[in-house]
Amino acid sequence: MHVLLIVVPVVFAAVCLALPGPRLRLASLVAGSGAHFGVTIWSWSTTFPDEADSVFAIEPLGHLFVSLVSVLFAATSVYFVGYHRKALLSQRIFLACMLALLAALSAVCMSRHLGVLWVAMEAASLAATPLIYFRLSARSLEATWKFLLMSSVGIALALLGIFCIAVAAMKAEPAVSLVYSDLVSHAKELDVLWLRAGFLLALVGFGAKMGLSPLHSWKPDAYGEAPPPVAALLSGAMTLGPFIGILRVFQVCSAAGLAEFAGGWLVVFGLVSIGTAAVFVVGNNDYRRIFAYTSVEHMGVMVVGVGLGLGGSYAAMLHAMHNTLNKGVLFFMAGFFWRIYQSNRVSDVRGALHHHPTAGILFLGGLCATCGLPPFGMFFSELGILFAAAQKAQWWVLGLFTLTLCIVFVGVMTAMLPMVFGPPPENLKSAPKGEGRWRNVVMLAPATLLLLAALVLGAYQPACVRDALYAAAATLEPLRTESGAAVARGMEVLP
Amino acid sequence: MLQSAIDSILVLAVLLNLAMLATSRMAACIRTFALQSLLLALLPIAVGLRHETIPGAHAFVITAGAVGLKVFLIPWILLRVLRTGEIHREIEPFIGFTASVMLGAVIIVASFAFAKRMPLPTEAPTDLLVPVSIATLFNGLLMLVSRLKAITQVLGYLVVENGIFVFGLLLLEQTPVLVELGILLDLFVGVFIMGIIVYHIRREFDHMDTHLLDALRES
Repeated sequence: MHVLLIVVPVVFAAVCLALPGPRLRLASLVAGSGAHFGVTIWSWSTTFPDEADSVFAIEPLGHLFVSLVSVLFAATSVYFVGYHRKALLSQRIFLACMLALLAALSAVCMSRHLGVLWVAMEAASLAATPLIYFRLSARSLEATWKFLLMSSVGIALALLGIFCIAVAAMKAEPAVSLVYSDLVSHAKELDVLWLRAGFLLALVGFGAKMGLSPLHSWKPDAYGEAPPPVAALLSGAMTLGPFIGILRVFQVCSAAGLAEFAGGWLVVFGLVSIGTAAVFVVGNNDYRRIFAYTSVEHMGVMVVGVGLGLGGSYAAMLHAMHNTLNKGVLFFMAGFFWRIYQSNRVSDVRGALHHHPTAGILFLGGLCATCGLPPFGMFFSELGILFAAAQKAQWWVLGLFTLTLCIVFVGVMTAMLPMVFGPPPENLKSAPKGEGRWRNVVMLAPATLLLLAALVLGAYQPACVRDALYAAAATLEPLRTESGAAVARGMEVLP
Repeated sequence: MLQSAIDSILVLAVLLNLAMLATSRMAACIRTFALQSLLLALLPIAVGLRHETIPGAHAFVITAGAVGLKVFLIPWILLRVLRTGEIHREIEPFIGFTASVMLGAVIIVASFAFAKRMPLPTEAPTDLLVPVSIATLFNGLLMLVSRLKAITQVLGYLVVENGIFVFGLLLLEQTPVLVELGILLDLFVGVFIMGIIVYHIRREFDHMDTHLLDALRES
């Protein structure tokens, strides 16, 4: 029944295309992502039999990611109702593409065959393209073109990587299919040379889609020009798709005894990404672009965590979860600020706390969460990665990781704190009445809920959430010694 | 006989890469691409014929899909987009035509050297398959980064895709038809969207030089 997660959004997208009025279509968007969220919740209460030959299946890692995607989409669809005023791009197509993106991402998370995963991932980036072009301006056109070209080339390289893995699988007798669980169980029979080539190509290709440096250049443009709800979806949900692609290939590599090789490259890419973010965050004057660079940073952190292994994988899963929640809050607030201040520039936004206390507090909370201040979860995940680095005695990694994270922290905080505190500029419009008021409530409520979720999951982690994260992390460590898992269990960082 | 046919198709495909790097007229470039796609689309059947007298339905489906999309539909879309504007030539690319042909040739030599060092775990239809695939891929990337016009960039992406298509011939029996068709469908939708965007770029900027797309950068 898990196919419902793909079918439901597709059906609602078709309904969106068919419905006559803009209000009805918005209702269909909310209903579609709400229904998806409902199915997701229901999916946690049942167990799924291991269907060997189905294309899609629910397993811990994909289940975790599809749930994150679902939460963010549900929040964004509500936010969008408040955000949406002028229809620039055809609203019909825009909403249908949003639901198609949800369906494609669910398919990415649940597909067992690497080829199907690739097809779904490409479908997701094609569905996202019209969303970026929302404003129909020259700038958004430029962002869309860069996004489309970069992600097409990236995903083409990823396809070549998957093909290389297929070649590696031809060495086994009989040849293994591209279903990753088969690949993992026959990993020892694969051709090592081609597997390495496949991993690197897939890492570069999916990395370009995920926004790992040096192929991140589309990211600030796309996030800066796309409407904020779309940027929230791109940074919080869309990044999980290529990440799961990398993780699947990594699973195969580590089962084949290439964990050191693959992990090493993951750490290198991750550190370079965090470093890039550190360079570009400092002195940047566009708050959405700064958020985009923090997204590059967080992708880097996740990849470093997986690369280190042990407690690092658990920390990476924790980080992925909080990344989804935080990016939602930040981009929702970015859209809200844009409504008040009519500017993307950091220097134009001042004194949000005075002008609109609720929005100021939410934004401040989102900032603290994304910079990894306790009690928010990113503090614990980053600490967990530090411990993992220390335990593996990779002191260079530990040092660089800490240094670059500190630079990002200082860069973001010095830029953004004046946005919250200080006197607001004088010529601001006063708080809207009547119609504008319900819009504010509808826009702020999802941000509040996401921030509360981030706070609660950071400060107190329910057993069920921890188990889900554990199960997801455990799939990444199939053979890294029995004792390794025990060590990981002993040293993971708990709030 | 069949073997030499497969080999000649692959060699021709590589030469067409160089031809595309050398032409400045975009319409000619698009037609060259269509010709290359047609040649490559014959390969699944030819490779299938090596094993048995009648290749499986799988090979025919892929050939039909590739011919329909890459020989007719996509070139038609691109030519249509091209006709709506005035500029039909690539003028002053980042890397000149002679230089890019030279670079393309270097890439081809390098791919053969590289493929020698990556022995295939199983027997391939022909030894040329991997080097030709890699050479086509990198020639496409070269086109993508060295040209200014949006249409030629799209063509570069399509050549990259052709390179991967050649590589996919190794895996003809392994990849399900569904996945192959999904790949072709994604390619088509991608090019369709690119066509729309190229059209918008021209309407917005009055032509389609992508170097005008540089408003977004770090200040």
